[in-house]
Amino acid sequence: MSDTLGTDAAESRRSQGTPGVGDVVESASPAPSRAGVRRRGRARARIEITVMSAPAILMFLAFVIFPVALAAYYGFYRWHGYGAATDWVGLNNYKLIFTDPAFHSVLWHNGVVLVLSLVLQGPVAIVLALLLNRKMRGRALIRVLIFVPYVISEVIVGTGWGLMLQANGAINDLLGHIGLSSLQADWLANPHLAIWTLMVIISWKYIGFAVILMLAGLQSIPEELFEAAQIDGASYWQIQRRITLPLLGPTIRIWAFLSIIGSLQLFDLVYIIWGPYVAGTAGTSTMAIYMIGQGRNAGNFGYGSAIAVVMFLISLVVALIYQRFVLRRDLKGAVTEGGVV
Amino acid sequence: MARKTRTKARTTAVAAIGLGIALAATGCAGGGSDNSSSSGSGSGSSGGNVTVTVWENATNGPGAAYWKNAAAQYHTLHPNVTIKIQSIQNEDFDGKLQTALNSNSAPDIFMQRGGGKMQAMVDAGQIQPLNLTATDQANTGAAALAASTLDGKVYAMPTDTQPEGIYYSKDLFKKAGITSTPTTIADLEADVAKLKAIKVAPIAVGAKDAWPAAHWYYNFALRECSQSVMTDVVKSLKFTDPCWTKAGTDLASFLKVSPFQNGFLTTSSQQGAGSSAGMLANHKAAMELMGNWDPGVIASLTPNQKPLPDLGWFPFPTVPGGQGAPTAIMGGGGGFSLSKNAPKEAFGFLEFLVTKDQQEAYAKAFDTIPINKQAQEVVTDSYNVSALQAFNKAPYSMQFLDTEYGQNVGNALNTAIVNLMAGKTDAAGVVKATSDAAAKG
Repeated sequence: MSDTLGTDAAESRRSQGTPGVGDVVESASPAPSRAGVRRRGRARARIEITVMSAPAILMFLAFVIFPVALAAYYGFYRWHGYGAATDWVGLNNYKLIFTDPAFHSVLWHNGVVLVLSLVLQGPVAIVLALLLNRKMRGRALIRVLIFVPYVISEVIVGTGWGLMLQANGAINDLLGHIGLSSLQADWLANPHLAIWTLMVIISWKYIGFAVILMLAGLQSIPEELFEAAQIDGASYWQIQRRITLPLLGPTIRIWAFLSIIGSLQLFDLVYIIWGPYVAGTAGTSTMAIYMIGQGRNAGNFGYGSAIAVVMFLISLVVALIYQRFVLRRDLKGAVTEGGVV
Repeated sequence: MARKTRTKARTTAVAAIGLGIALAATGCAGGGSDNSSSSGSGSGSSGGNVTVTVWENATNGPGAAYWKNAAAQYHTLHPNVTIKIQSIQNEDFDGKLQTALNSNSAPDIFMQRGGGKMQAMVDAGQIQPLNLTATDQANTGAAALAASTLDGKVYAMPTDTQPEGIYYSKDLFKKAGITSTPTTIADLEADVAKLKAIKVAPIAVGAKDAWPAAHWYYNFALRECSQSVMTDVVKSLKFTDPCWTKAGTDLASFLKVSPFQNGFLTTSSQQGAGSSAGMLANHKAAMELMGNWDPGVIASLTPNQKPLPDLGWFPFPTVPGGQGAPTAIMGGGGGFSLSKNAPKEAFGFLEFLVTKDQQEAYAKAFDTIPINKQAQEVVTDSYNVSALQAFNKAPYSMQFLDTEYGQNVGNALNTAIVNLMAGKTDAAGVVKATSDAAAKG
């Protein structure tokens, strides 16, 4: 890909006598004089690139592109997963998906999780990072503690929270013992509460990751800027607002991007805590849960494949829009844009 | 010239990629085309040494030991046949089997779930019809064979029967002052009140897994709907008879006495002491509606991991005015199928499985009810005896509806029942959900 796009630019540079992108081998050896040697060298470089990248490309094609293509193919069939798919139904699966009220509600849940993740986790993570960026006693310990939930596997987190939040679980028991029995609730099964329970668990789990990202971003801001501002008499909050936040922008935008994609693909926590059936009842099911429930559990592999395609397209479109409009200035120079330099 | 070299390099890359895709595609297409080349009737060899592979789902304990012994005994009787047993964890079983069947690497013999899945395998030409001898038929019995028959052909050798009923703790019943097991829903509701008075959950249900909750609906439907209505739906998949709505209303009104444990929606059925089986095993709940694998599950969840000594069984109570036979029984059945390329020696092993001695060993190992009537004398546990009596008295037995009506409709039905139990839908909503699902598969 980059090979073809970079070609013309490399060609023009080469004609001016400066080594181009594709000329790694050449530029390593000092100034070959004859054109024939150059050509042979270049061919060798090409072969090397082909040989070295072929395994990776093959893996990518076989285990990413090929399955995606297969899902697209099966999405047009009514297929139960036994034998070859023969019952072509055209776009009927997609029609059913978009008219299914259950799909509307999972879309809504994904949207809620997406927005609430940004709104709840973002500010908290920034504040925590600002605090942890100051010198204080026990800073390393607090950093570790905040990051620990992120390291624990989703299955363990889900099982643990799931058990504690049961109607007769530890949390309700604790509330009862400290005289707050009026606050006891069915945290998981009550449809008015369940999505908030999920948000608390997600925030607890992923805030450590956001904080670490923000901290890394803070560390990369040059110390001199703060010093200069302090000399000019800026207050702590003025410094944060005028210097830290703007310079933290790229980090925040990348974190938000990861959070959005994560929210759209949310599966494991919900699956472990609620399971594919009760998630819909409790109002926490997501697109991926819907796909598993309607595809694998119902044995409708054709329909399930169509859901996978819809999910893929939604994620792709969101990702592309975000990259185009939000991440553009951060990624400048990192991506090739249409071969124009 | 330079351009040409570059083109060549690119061509090489493209060719390599193309080759990869081609390899992958032919790998897949190969499986596909072979599948469509219809079912041979046992391409099997004879005479020479044959190895027969068997996939079953008992991974440890007496169950796994049973299979090992059966394989060894069969090899002694038929030295040229080697039976290779492969244990596959139950939850992994269906996915693995599906891949194996589609890629022509299926085991010769495998555990058959029946119902819609078996229908799909037959449609795809992946399994063989069995030509049962008179002895085989006598060993298995007509009722069990009926469940493995599609369009007049038998596709699985039944090995055991799993009648469903309510498992209960005799101690807790005694403590609550319940002297005899309930026979009508009104009796059951009265017992629920008595059990609440001694502060145990009257009935445990693992609604997180959906099917245990749905089994309550299946049994209400079994009482409300006539046999012909229930079997007709297999073909039509239309739940238009008013009995289906009636069953939903029955369940909804039964829910009004809150018979189930707190937080039943997020309780699983078999995992850990907090599951519904675990609650019964630890005397936190008094009853559970389940198929006859339950005693084994309960035994693994008691504090000392021994069978629950006071476990009893009674059939699902009757419903006034129902169209179904009051003694009809809901239940699954275990069985084994032959994949399309299985040698004829594999069928011999299936026949061997339903002989009296093997059936006795099987029933003991799995703590279940054997299909062979001559072997049924090994059933001695009080709950199994009660279940066997009810089973032998039943005019007909109905396969669990999520199996009977296929995975697609079954799955929708199970999900809808969870919604009904959560108060999110009503009886009419259940019927609608099942009809909608039929469009997707």
